[in-house]
Amino acid sequence: MTDDATAAGVVHLSFDGYAIQAEKGASLLQAWIASGLPLTENAGCMGQGVCGACRVLLRRPGERLPGTALACETPAEEGMQVSFVDHFPARRPHAYDLHGVTDSWAVLDEVDRTFPEAKNCRHCSGCDRACPKGIEVQRMVNLASVGQTFAAAELFDACVLCNLCVAACPEHIDPAHLGQFVRRISASMTLRPSDLIMRLREIEEGLQPIDPDAPGANPKVPT
Amino acid sequence: MTAGIPLAQALANWRACAPAEPRPCGLPVAELLRGFHPDQRPGAMVPLLVGISAGQRAPAELAALLQADSLVDDIDLAGAPLLEADVLVIGGGGAGCVAALTAARAGARVLLVTKLRIGDSNTVMAEGGIQAAVGEDDSLQRHFEDTLRAGHFLADKSLVAALVSDGPAAIRWLIQEGMSFDLADEGRRMGGTLLRKKPGGASAARLLSYRDFTGLELMRALREAVLLQPGITLLDRHPALELLSDDRGRCAGAALHDLARGRTVLARAGATVLATGGSGRLHLLGFPTSNHYGATADGLVLAYRLGAPLREVDSFQFHPTGMAWPGHLEGQLVSESARSSGAMLVNGLGQRFVEELQPRDVVAAAILREIAEGRGILRDGRAGVFLDTPTLERGKPGILAGSLVTLSHLAHRAGIDPASEPFLIRPTLHYQNGGLVIDPAGRTPVPGLLAAGEVTGGLHGSNRMMGNALLELVAFGRRAGEAAILDARVERPRNVGLTHLADWRRALTVQGLPLSRKAPMIFPPYGNFNAATDRGKAA
Amino acid sequence: MTAVLTAEAVRVGPDLEAWLAVGGGGGLRRALAEPEAIIPVIEAAGLRGLGGAGFPTHRKWAAVAAQPRPAKGGKWVICNGNEDEPGTFKDRFLLSETPHQVIEGALIGALAVGASTIVLYVNPREAAAVRVLKQAAQAWAKHSLLAECAAFLGSPLRLDVVEGSGLYVGGEETAAVASVMGGFPFPSLKPPFPAEAGVNGAPTLLNNVETFAHVPHILREGAEWYRALGLGAAVGTKLYSLSGDVLRPGLHEMPMGTSLRQLVFAHGGGMLAQKAFKAVFTGGPSNTLLTAADLDVALDFDSLRERGSRLGTGAMIVVGEGTSILRKTAEYVAFFAANSCGQCPPCKIGTHQVARILERIENGAGRPGDLEALENLSKMLPGSGRCGLLDGAATVLSSSLHAFRAEYEAALARQSSGQVNLGAA
Repeated sequence: MTDDATAAGVVHLSFDGYAIQAEKGASLLQAWIASGLPLTENAGCMGQGVCGACRVLLRRPGERLPGTALACETPAEEGMQVSFVDHFPARRPHAYDLHGVTDSWAVLDEVDRTFPEAKNCRHCSGCDRACPKGIEVQRMVNLASVGQTFAAAELFDACVLCNLCVAACPEHIDPAHLGQFVRRISASMTLRPSDLIMRLREIEEGLQPIDPDAPGANPKVPT
Repeated sequence: MTAGIPLAQALANWRACAPAEPRPCGLPVAELLRGFHPDQRPGAMVPLLVGISAGQRAPAELAALLQADSLVDDIDLAGAPLLEADVLVIGGGGAGCVAALTAARAGARVLLVTKLRIGDSNTVMAEGGIQAAVGEDDSLQRHFEDTLRAGHFLADKSLVAALVSDGPAAIRWLIQEGMSFDLADEGRRMGGTLLRKKPGGASAARLLSYRDFTGLELMRALREAVLLQPGITLLDRHPALELLSDDRGRCAGAALHDLARGRTVLARAGATVLATGGSGRLHLLGFPTSNHYGATADGLVLAYRLGAPLREVDSFQFHPTGMAWPGHLEGQLVSESARSSGAMLVNGLGQRFVEELQPRDVVAAAILREIAEGRGILRDGRAGVFLDTPTLERGKPGILAGSLVTLSHLAHRAGIDPASEPFLIRPTLHYQNGGLVIDPAGRTPVPGLLAAGEVTGGLHGSNRMMGNALLELVAFGRRAGEAAILDARVERPRNVGLTHLADWRRALTVQGLPLSRKAPMIFPPYGNFNAATDRGKAA
Repeated sequence: MTAVLTAEAVRVGPDLEAWLAVGGGGGLRRALAEPEAIIPVIEAAGLRGLGGAGFPTHRKWAAVAAQPRPAKGGKWVICNGNEDEPGTFKDRFLLSETPHQVIEGALIGALAVGASTIVLYVNPREAAAVRVLKQAAQAWAKHSLLAECAAFLGSPLRLDVVEGSGLYVGGEETAAVASVMGGFPFPSLKPPFPAEAGVNGAPTLLNNVETFAHVPHILREGAEWYRALGLGAAVGTKLYSLSGDVLRPGLHEMPMGTSLRQLVFAHGGGMLAQKAFKAVFTGGPSNTLLTAADLDVALDFDSLRERGSRLGTGAMIVVGEGTSILRKTAEYVAFFAANSCGQCPPCKIGTHQVARILERIENGAGRPGDLEALENLSKMLPGSGRCGLLDGAATVLSSSLHAFRAEYEAALARQSSGQVNLGAA
């Protein structure tokens, strides 16, 4: 495309201190790449919005408050100020043995033991505001702390593990990891599909042989 | 520029004909593939000139990397910090995590290294689901035969048998790791049945899923499991530059690059598992891709240089429906669930031209044929065909908002209303069907070197079935993890270094191939990081 | 130099009788005699908020006085003793060694604005201050002077000691109000200001401990006397908290407008270990740095503003050669990141991101583009929080980058492995 053709569709923004241009409609991540800047982290699914790698703080002109976003799914706009945000792991490992929790009566005890900070939630809502997927993080934390495991797990359905809530939490609750705990324990402790169980039995009893010479396993011989 | 029908005319034709009548393809499958599948394009593939698989054909871009020189020299290893492990896993996606967990739980000291973050992979992007023969109406034999048939009977039967046999156990393993699955009746968590769909080419419904982001759900659970597993040391931002060998040709670990500090780090291990994923970001044959940023065939390059043979590296899966417009979404996947729900493919004349639920290679070839023969649609310099979502919505009101949520989200980002305007789609480079030769335990013929996941070959023949890739990660991740710990205990490498490079360089020289070209690529060219020249400083 | 707040004579601790014996109560009596003259006297004296903002005190008092008295509960006075910033240690001195100056000042303030509750808001970490303040308040509760105040106000007058949260953010005025009300000290957006709507929505006068401490002296000795204490156009005295690489750190009460050179070399004993003067974190860690070129600046509100800096709490953290500005800045940004209350992600995440970048530069893992990324953040973040914490962090960052960029660049060039930086331009 010629310069004339693109001039009308070009926006200017500042990204990590670099003044860059972008095609109208391009994502922030594409704008970064197109400007020739190196990209050796903060990239992943390149637009699907599902891996949480391309975290940014972003301020639109005239807005008082920068927000958080995923650069690969945010269109570049004129005058934006953008900064990449690092991946913030949990400050300390919240160690639990998923397979070791065998008594479902003890799940809430496990939450208290592994995520003791959750009870100190100060209800600042920073996690909610930081989440680029609009998850009700704070409510999830509060529900998990009172044993409402399924409800908490459901709220965290859309999490892409960007860990922005981990960076945002002043009490170091590390909500993303608590969210994964309630999701994982919900599945590992209660999901028991009968068709799967029956098929596993059959296999164990040798009732599902595989015959590599069966006609269906070989190309048709022309007659 | 390809000839085609301008958008306005094409839309008019579409409106006039919708709902379009089914039309037969008009070409036998073999001829369609031969004439229009990208792998079959004249000149697309070149024979490899060096290495253990010399004579095999591969796309020119991949062949160039496979036949390039190493990024490192022996002198780069001197003074490099050293890490030791029993098992080194290279790649932090599904297969890598499964392998690392398996080995660590069997008592190995595991080092898991990844060039981006753990979880950044093609795995996390998978939408459709994972196959396992759990249905009453289904059997391992049927899964076995469906897989072989879809791959045109080119796959290794022992590998396919291993894959399908492990299916149900893999699902159980995933549930025990905390992964959720959709149920036929969500109210029946104990004793209900899994929700099963029929993927293209299957004779039974066996595609299990979690909403339309099965890969994310899988990766989330595995990522947490790895972070919490004692015995696994995780190194993000450490791509592998070269495998280490010993004086008997055994794989002894890898030379890694610490991106944050701009320095080389050595990882010595009794056994190494390559789980480096695919090659979509090489944009083979000039195609856009649905793949993850890191899919640059690094593992193939490293293993080949050490003497690991390849198979079917001339076979790539082009997902029929990648976004063709707008430019900034080019290559992004439009999920097969649209077609399996009934959406039709329509050319610029308003006609259907293929049965939509044929295997992916057939559908992709058919679309490329329409475009090549001038019946495609042109918009802003891009060519494609229509995915008729408006007719789907008319026939099943509410389906877009109800079950095709990710699709609607994608349409919104493209600036179109899927209920009134069809998508413009074109095949996108999606999956590497072939790769490293492995046995059912995940071992390559090179001692001490194993592999799992998309980097391996022999499972999918020349066309992968939907849902077998996620199964492969778990089945072969576990097998490779188990075999790795055995191999690590058998014997330790001796005189570790880069002894394999000398022979490699001699081979390149004899064939007249330039030593100036270096591989692996690590990041695609538009990542603006040249692995050969930019390694000396922090990135 | 006349010590006013720190004079030996007034350091009587909680002993109210001793305070009254050295002239205490005189200011309060003047106020009771001519209540309508209180605010004009404060105005004439030129007293400004000494907790950091430098806002003209009389204007704040007038704003609260002008508000109608609420139907229920009355107006409030909060004496802000939260003091929790590195390098500032004046309020704890006043509260633990000479609380009555502060209390009397607050009483005068209550008379001026018509308040019926005075809260002595104190940091629970300062055990001595808490203990002394409680004793002092009890002494006033039994004294006839308090009853006279209540009589004038036409309602009972309560004098409560309230322990805050012990958190840095609790020093911000809206956060102090929230804390006094029993909740977490979350700052909130202004307007409305506490003067219009503070505790329980009632008009609330909030001033720093040091500000109140001057008030009884001003009322007793007069505005002229107070003005004459300062140097040049500045008025009164100031408690400078001097710390860092000096021989005599500590609290120094000096005329407002004393030069930096005087403070450091004449009264602070000069630089420690004969290190050259490198810089001073002016007003504490949330302001700009001044360098040796600024040694003659007068340490008052207006002179410092003209120099592109701020007086803040009057804390002066001195840095000599041999102390790393990069490391100190990283330390302070980490302090702000840890103390961000969490409400505003740009603050919490922004300060953590800055801290991350500084940390890796400090640890030899800095990369090209890091300084640009820091400057970008220091430009895009200010103005986006509910309080000034984020702005303070951004200010100290951009000031240190501006004045000591060479230190940052040297750290970037150094790599922890000792390898030569192949990519250096």
